[in-house]
Amino acid sequence: MRRPKKYEAGEATQYISRRAALRKLQLSLNDFRRLCILKGVYPREPKHRRRAQKGSSEIKVLYHTKDIRFLLHESIVWTLRDYKIFAKKSNRDRAIKDFRNLKRRLALFPEIKLDHIVKERYPTFIDALKDLDDCLTLLFLFSTFPSLHLIPREQSNLCRRLTIEFLHYVIASKSLRKVFISIKGYYFQAEIKGQKVTWIVPHYYPFKPQSRQEVDFKVMSIFVEFYTIMLGFTNFRLFHGLNLAYPPQFPSSVLQDSEESLKDEASFVSDRIAALNFELLRTDKVQEDEEELDIDMELLEQDGDSKRIIKMKQEAQEVSRLRTLFKGLKFFINREVPREPLVILIRSFGGKVSWDSSVFAGSAYDESDETITHQIVDRPSLATQYISRDYVQPQWLFDCVNQRQLLPTNKYFLGEKLPPHLSPFVDSKRDTYIPPEEKALLDPSLIETHAQSDDDSEDEAEKEEEETVDQELLDAQLQLAYQQETAEYKKYGGPDGVNEDEEDPEEDDEEDDDDDEEEEEEVDEKTKRLQQEKQKMSVQSGKVHKVNKRQVHKAEVDEHRLQARMVKPRHRNLFRKLIREKQTKEKEEWLLRKKRRTIEAGEKEARKTAKREARKEAAAAAAKASKLGK
Amino acid sequence: MTALEPATKKKRISKKNKSAWRKTDIQDVEQFLEDQRQEERIGTFTDKQDEELFVLDASPQKTTKSTVLSVKQKRKLNAKKPMRSHQALVNTSRVQDPIAKRNHVRQKKNGRNIELEVCNPTKPRHRQANSDRAQYYEKLEQRLADKRNKKVAIDKDIWQEVDFRDAIPGLKDEKGWISRDLALHTAGNIGKKVVKTHASLHHKTTKAKKFELPHPGMSYNPAPEDHQALISEVVEREEGIIKKEQHLKRVTTSMFSKVTPEERDRRRLEEMSQGIEDEEGAEKSTENAEEDADKPYHTINAPVENKKKSKQARRKELKQKELSRQTELKRKLKQQTADLIRIKSIRHELDDEEEDLNDLKKRRKQRAEKAKFEPKRLGRHKFEEPDLDVNLPEDLAGNLRNVKTESSLLKDRFHTLQRNNMLPTTKLVSRKKAKVKRFERSSHKEPGVSYQDLKDRRRAAAAAAKAAADIKI
Repeated sequence: MRRPKKYEAGEATQYISRRAALRKLQLSLNDFRRLCILKGVYPREPKHRRRAQKGSSEIKVLYHTKDIRFLLHESIVWTLRDYKIFAKKSNRDRAIKDFRNLKRRLALFPEIKLDHIVKERYPTFIDALKDLDDCLTLLFLFSTFPSLHLIPREQSNLCRRLTIEFLHYVIASKSLRKVFISIKGYYFQAEIKGQKVTWIVPHYYPFKPQSRQEVDFKVMSIFVEFYTIMLGFTNFRLFHGLNLAYPPQFPSSVLQDSEESLKDEASFVSDRIAALNFELLRTDKVQEDEEELDIDMELLEQDGDSKRIIKMKQEAQEVSRLRTLFKGLKFFINREVPREPLVILIRSFGGKVSWDSSVFAGSAYDESDETITHQIVDRPSLATQYISRDYVQPQWLFDCVNQRQLLPTNKYFLGEKLPPHLSPFVDSKRDTYIPPEEKALLDPSLIETHAQSDDDSEDEAEKEEEETVDQELLDAQLQLAYQQETAEYKKYGGPDGVNEDEEDPEEDDEEDDDDDEEEEEEVDEKTKRLQQEKQKMSVQSGKVHKVNKRQVHKAEVDEHRLQARMVKPRHRNLFRKLIREKQTKEKEEWLLRKKRRTIEAGEKEARKTAKREARKEAAAAAAKASKLGK
Repeated sequence: MTALEPATKKKRISKKNKSAWRKTDIQDVEQFLEDQRQEERIGTFTDKQDEELFVLDASPQKTTKSTVLSVKQKRKLNAKKPMRSHQALVNTSRVQDPIAKRNHVRQKKNGRNIELEVCNPTKPRHRQANSDRAQYYEKLEQRLADKRNKKVAIDKDIWQEVDFRDAIPGLKDEKGWISRDLALHTAGNIGKKVVKTHASLHHKTTKAKKFELPHPGMSYNPAPEDHQALISEVVEREEGIIKKEQHLKRVTTSMFSKVTPEERDRRRLEEMSQGIEDEEGAEKSTENAEEDADKPYHTINAPVENKKKSKQARRKELKQKELSRQTELKRKLKQQTADLIRIKSIRHELDDEEEDLNDLKKRRKQRAEKAKFEPKRLGRHKFEEPDLDVNLPEDLAGNLRNVKTESSLLKDRFHTLQRNNMLPTTKLVSRKKAKVKRFERSSHKEPGVSYQDLKDRRRAAAAAAKAAADIKI
């Protein structure tokens, strides 16, 4: 038997250096870089570098040998080699001025086809959606670029087209969930097929050149090349899922034969598409129906209601309310406000929007329209104002979407100092301790209890302030309640349905049982009973339902035990871990709350003693004064 | 000629020899022959038509402006003219070909005359070829136009479930007779190989979040607490950097004592002149050398002697060894008995050791767990976390119109790709061109005008103009 040599097996054979890979693939470094990015093959870090590098300990760029072998089968490797040949031949043609041949060659330029790579890298559509964050951010960024060295103009134009198409989908599907204005740009989060897709749109400022020292433009351009194809196919699928025609088109009713539209139809249409202000052409006749969610919720109700299901239900309800947040409202965007993000917001939640026709094509109505309910303004004052509409700053829209309700506009009026713009990505319902101040910012109704706690011994002036605050909060609450009511009314078709569904699902079950029994009985008896019941019917004062806390606690404990028993043996450790985590979290929260309570109590005590002393002193002084007076 | 003879009486010269003949004036004869030949070549005036000889001047009388042709037009006109090099080849003679019938030898052309076939197709296959060619060029034009319009063909749903067998006609079987393995094998052999992606391609290499969500303090109008939290984070990081820098400075630069330049020079001189002894020393050394020459050679170490041990010594040594072994054994036994009393403390020691080991294990595990979230070392350069983006309190405008943006999104994306192990960290290496030292050649008294000079002059002029403009402003 041959004696095994060093580095013939093990880690040394698992890795291959970049140089060796180049030699194996017969490609230049630039081509190799491109191929790797397109195929999603990235360098690896070995566990033991010296072993992987056959004894050398300098840090080299290493790849998995398996990956490189996989690249060897790729068909675009041949295309990359063809590029080299193409360059040689076309350069020859150019040199000998054989332009006829050159033209023929240019037409036969070997294009790289990437569809199979997209499919390969993202075997399912959901995989592609999961990786959409990076893709969208890059494309939105590149869509703002002028033609630069290494970044051709066609690429940025294509980026612009694809991102606009994606925005059309977001608007049509009403899948936007969260928005945030940061100093980096606008963050958007949409929920597409259950996946949360987040992307950043840069601020609308003139292009700032980026130094080549920090960013490799070539590499970024290659990434964008792949991502454009990927987003193209994703858009195709998304559009078809909504029964929209892809590439987006308008129904013929939108396109009137005006002089402008006849002159250059293509640019006219592309302008209107970029305006994001019109419904797109559908491939089916029927309008979309929003019953889908309700059916899901009904199915869930059979499962009884654990905490999770209640949470899910609430979430679904909130989302359904959010989808019609701006329905019936009519907005006008002033020229100083960035148009695109606002149009996305307003249109994806059912509002109507327009802008000055000189700002961008596709405005629907003028500023002088009296039916406008809100005008978005971002300047300290405005010369001509209409009484019929609210002049609000753009943050109002963003905050409304994040809170999922229409906020009172008074804090966002023209020239008003804005309340802080909170991040929606910090979960307001997280399990950890949330200080009451933050809670109050998120849900104004909670501030009341905080205010009530120390109303016994405070000054009158403070009280007055609180009252004003209370008044505002009350207004907000009323509005909130009204919205909820309307939303529920729409959803269930009647006020009676709301109570049944919301408060006690158990009652539902009982009623069902009753129904079953009734069915067994004969029809005559049924009518008789109904009559009897009718006679008995009267309005009685309701009783407050008392909750037996002990029983509830017992039920909870029982449920928990049952849950623990239901856990499969192999998941037991995980279950225990989860429970332990939850307990520690609860404990931490409790500790923090306790700490706050003690601090507050201490402060209160200190204030009381100070006041008492002050009173004593005053009394003493008064006594002294009286003595002196005497 | 005969008529002229009496007027110019010619002197008769003997024509005896050749040289005499040479003196004869034959110009008139030559002239006559020349005229005749020319007449033959280009014809006589009587032969020509009037139109050939005269041109009717139809242009208007005044010809004030001579049209100045541009260079391009001239070039075009010239291009129409026959080439001057070909002018010599043009047959302008009117002389008839003396050989009435030439025997033309026509070589038989091998192959087809494509041009002829294109111009006047005679056979059906010529017509077919012509139509095919037209189609090809039409297609080419279409492709070029598509390329100009940058059409991206996205016209299918790639995520639809498609069996590779459907694309290959022979492999599509409804009856289920062809197994999948066989189909795979066949596909590979007819050049439509189905390449399977290996699972490790889709493995995640980092546990860190792919897309980082923004810190709430990064809002354009943040809540004061959030903003403070972000700023404190930034400060903490900056402090860390400063600390590291200070540490490096402490352990490198400030570790060495400082000296004045004079002292440094002196020390250098001293160091460099080590071994070169001053003259006195040198003299001494020469004297020493002379003395050494007289004395016999001595090494510093004593010479090695091969001493044989005696048998007795060996025996004694062995005995000693055995004795020491015995004592060692005894000592160990004694230790063991003593340890019986120490069992409790030994157990403690062992426990401590085990605890230390466990601690080490735990720490290693923690470090490994933490490393899973950190970017891997893919290239020569280490990934350095970029600075956090933060608006300083004075930059917060509070409204959307005056937002001050921080950092570029492109840079941010680039760093994210590096953090996600998709790109090795690189640094731009700018290859500077070697500076070329230019000087005038001594043979060239007057410097010529090179492109470089022109460029320099242009630059200087532009700078001067700019300076003048600045002054005006």
